[in-house]
Amino acid sequence: MQTEATLAHADVSELDLVRRCQAGDTEAFDELVTRYRTRVFSMIYNMVHNEQDAWDLAQDSFLKAWKSIKRFRGRSSFYTWIYRIVMNVTIDWLRKKHVKGVGAEFDDATQLREVDPASKTVPQTEALPYEMMERDEIRTRIDKAIAQLSPEQRAVILMKEIEGMQYHEIAEALGCSIGTVMSRLFYARKKLQNLLRDVYENI
Amino acid sequence: MKTFEEKWTAWVDGQLSGRELLEFEASLPDKAAAEAEKAGARKLGELLKRELSARTLTNEEFFSHQLREKIARLREAPARQARETRSTWWTIPRLLWTGALSLAVFLVFTVFVMREKNPAEESQYLTQILNARVDPVVSPNATVSIFEVKQDRVTVLWTEGLQSLPADYAAK
Repeated sequence: MQTEATLAHADVSELDLVRRCQAGDTEAFDELVTRYRTRVFSMIYNMVHNEQDAWDLAQDSFLKAWKSIKRFRGRSSFYTWIYRIVMNVTIDWLRKKHVKGVGAEFDDATQLREVDPASKTVPQTEALPYEMMERDEIRTRIDKAIAQLSPEQRAVILMKEIEGMQYHEIAEALGCSIGTVMSRLFYARKKLQNLLRDVYENI
Repeated sequence: MKTFEEKWTAWVDGQLSGRELLEFEASLPDKAAAEAEKAGARKLGELLKRELSARTLTNEEFFSHQLREKIARLREAPARQARETRSTWWTIPRLLWTGALSLAVFLVFTVFVMREKNPAEESQYLTQILNARVDPVVSPNATVSIFEVKQDRVTVLWTEGLQSLPADYAAK
């Protein structure tokens, strides 16, 4: 758990890293990538449901960030800025791919691995086979339900529920108004509630 | 003015307060059903967070390594482009020189061949008869008319008053 002081320190050093990147320091950019690569990948994966595509899109996003880092003025936080790039890249890709409804995009869902945050210090307890199967089934249901949302609705619900971002941060990342964010969130929730009601009511 | 969807979302997320909250809750036709929906939305959020936030990047170091390589190539690209541009400009004068030289050689050959070709095309008969007419001792009253249609490559000689054919012509 980060305290406010460490958060403030992190923010300062992040700004410092950005300034160094703007001066052409690739090591500083590498540090920023290390900080955000997992979150970025996870966000993209939850939108596209394919590990290889998520990997490629995450690479593209960071590469675009590097190319345009000089244009970052520091008016928003770096992670809002990078999320904006990530969302542009991913939503564009989804539109081009014409992903609609349930498709053949769940081919490698079983390749995912779960990481216990305490795994480095505490021996990991393996889940029972039937529990793992059940969780896989739940994840597949969730993936299929999310796949039925529009790219913009996916982005909004994932940023809100997974990343815990505020409306204004989501609006900034997606380049739309707060009202639009709230409206998209309304329809995304309604749809997911209809599709996953039996899942979340029985857990 | 907020729409119903915006107010509902704010209500679910606990973002409504004071008079706005009271007004919104008063406007709900079935508050119990709305509360159940709200609880459902929160459970959905918890489910998504629990199931989806566990997903992570495998092989993180390779991810960074691949990205570093791409950036290195990107940084190298302008320098390489400059080199390529320089080398392209270097080849343009060479190409011009080669072109000019080829043209000069072609012109020399064309002139040489044309000069050689023209005499060969001249008719031997015409040359001989015209030469013979020049001698007034052999045929003092001879006249030679030439009709030539160059387009059809036809030449007609009309001779009058010819005493005898020249000896060298008759021999042929």
